[in-house]
Amino acid sequence: MFSLDPITKKKFARFRSIRRGWWSLICFTLLLILSFGAELLISNRALFVKYEGKFYFPTYGSIYPGKTFGLDYDYETNYRDLKKVFLDQSSNNFVLLPIVPWSAYESDLKDGQYPPFAPSIDQRHFLGTDTTGRDILARLVYGFRTAISFSMLLLIATYSIGVSVGCAMGYFGGKFDIILQRIIEIWSNVPFLYVIMIVSSIIVPRFGILVAIMVFFDWIGMTWYMRTSTYKEKAREYTSAAKALGASHFRIIFNHILPNVLSVLVTFIPFSVTGGIVSLTSLDYLGFGLPPPTPSWGELLAQGTANLQALWIVTSVTVAMIVVLTMVTFIGEAIREAFDPKQYSTFES
Amino acid sequence: MKMSQNVLEVEHLKTYFPILGGLFQRTIGHVRAVDDISLTIQKGETLGLVGESGCGKSTLGRSIIRLVEPSSGKVLLNGTNLLTTNGQELRNKRKDVQMIFQDPYESLNSRHTIGSILAEPFVIHNLLSPKERDDAVVELLRRVGLPENARLKYPHEFSGGQRQRIGIARAIALRPNLVICDEPISALDVSIQAQIMNLLIDIQNEMGMAYLFIAHDLAAVRHISDRIAVMYLGVIVEEGPSESISSNPQHPYTQALLSAVPVADPQFKKRERIVLKGDVPSPSNPPSGCRFHTRCPYVQDRCRVESPELKSRNEKIANSKVACHFPLK
Repeated sequence: MFSLDPITKKKFARFRSIRRGWWSLICFTLLLILSFGAELLISNRALFVKYEGKFYFPTYGSIYPGKTFGLDYDYETNYRDLKKVFLDQSSNNFVLLPIVPWSAYESDLKDGQYPPFAPSIDQRHFLGTDTTGRDILARLVYGFRTAISFSMLLLIATYSIGVSVGCAMGYFGGKFDIILQRIIEIWSNVPFLYVIMIVSSIIVPRFGILVAIMVFFDWIGMTWYMRTSTYKEKAREYTSAAKALGASHFRIIFNHILPNVLSVLVTFIPFSVTGGIVSLTSLDYLGFGLPPPTPSWGELLAQGTANLQALWIVTSVTVAMIVVLTMVTFIGEAIREAFDPKQYSTFES
Repeated sequence: MKMSQNVLEVEHLKTYFPILGGLFQRTIGHVRAVDDISLTIQKGETLGLVGESGCGKSTLGRSIIRLVEPSSGKVLLNGTNLLTTNGQELRNKRKDVQMIFQDPYESLNSRHTIGSILAEPFVIHNLLSPKERDDAVVELLRRVGLPENARLKYPHEFSGGQRQRIGIARAIALRPNLVICDEPISALDVSIQAQIMNLLIDIQNEMGMAYLFIAHDLAAVRHISDRIAVMYLGVIVEEGPSESISSNPQHPYTQALLSAVPVADPQFKKRERIVLKGDVPSPSNPPSGCRFHTRCPYVQDRCRVESPELKSRNEKIANSKVACHFPLK
């Protein structure tokens, strides 16, 4: 119902006409797809192996021990070595490696040299390695996946809670509203960083726990906007009309008020996404975020600033951050422009 | 027997809005929007309710349908008191009384199609199958004179008059016994007003529901109503058959209202205009005695002290009641 709505269509058309935002959205979507299919481009597992007439696709699924391909070990096959072995045998056997044949977790250590290693196309370390010899491009891409998943999960959770509570406050009003407002004011004064520090000193903050802690503090922001716009919509006559027809509170909120206040919400989404990415990065930078060796931009940034002689580390992560955050900001800006109420007054359209 | 004749009986209805003030937002007074009003509407009858802006006529309408919570009194709809029913029972009762709103630009949700707006009454009350609902929507559109394909469109694609037709279709969808028309024509062009009035009259003839027709325009009300009630500052000052109200007003306020109605006749000789002095007093602190005494051209000492009762004061005019110590002859 919402997508068919002509006002939404107009807004979308207007969004498309803002080229900067539209292209950012396309690029960002591509990046998302790339990062979620990153195993096909960046992985230490081969894309496919042809060995004695049989085909293997090791990218997804369980591991193949070295013995499968006639090697002398039982742990997971090292496909880069396998490729060399096959080349030496000059047989029909064949290995196709991804463009970057390194995983985000493995160290590429060389005898007689200390990492970080500078970018090299030969070694397939396109952005070099970090201080423990892990491929930076791999860590950037998988770190992006972590950050964006974190951000999206955080967004969904905070918005569901914030919208429900805010809508309820605006709709029911009165004492319920006043009491909840005071609770939220107290709640918002709990110092976020201290809680994170305390929690991460007691337990290792895994992904889920970190999201939960962030949600605990972040849901508040949305309630204010939802509360005021619900108040506004509730006073309008179509809500009275629905009430006069005998509609239940549930129906009035979800069928009438929510679709009308959703535009407020949509405008905030991109800024919440950047907010989520920045939060995770800064927590990781400070060391209160995800535990190592999870690939993360914050951890890379910390390494980079500590090892300024290896400029490629700090450059890669900074450029990546700037590009992603700028794109999301452009998208957000275009959405805000497209949803500008000056263009679409609620009284005429 | 008399019970079954009356669709609506309002008894001593009061709707006060609290005025909050001071450091702790205590109630420091009340706006007496509706102050002890009693009225009845019979089956299939139209009661016109007139009065100037701010006299509480819309609040009265909204109190009857409980969009505004009244402070005290009774609203009997087919004998059931709406003010003591709650929850699911009230929601079920609501299908017997519907409302047509003043502003057709505000009363339709701009994000729903006309089809879903008109099907909503059936969905809410769980009536008819989806297929039958579609048919009912088409039938409603036909009834109010809109094309069938309107159901796929959105409110903004229609003009004010067409939107008001949609509002009317929604109100009659459940075949209510009573429809409260809250100034349904005042937001429309003059050319459209007559069409909408005639549509309302046609629908009433066909479906037999009663109307409470609220307006500030006495000429329009006279056209549609069987009886007229005149409201001033939260109370009814005169009530009677529309003929006698317009030809033989007994209350000075009614007389003043009538003198403001333009007459569409160029030959008509200029009549005496009664221009009321001053402003409407504050409904939070209404004048003592007769509420109209501050502006009444015929005011006497008794009016300032004693509040007149709304009752029959002239046997010659049947069924008429007036709240004036010195009704006009």
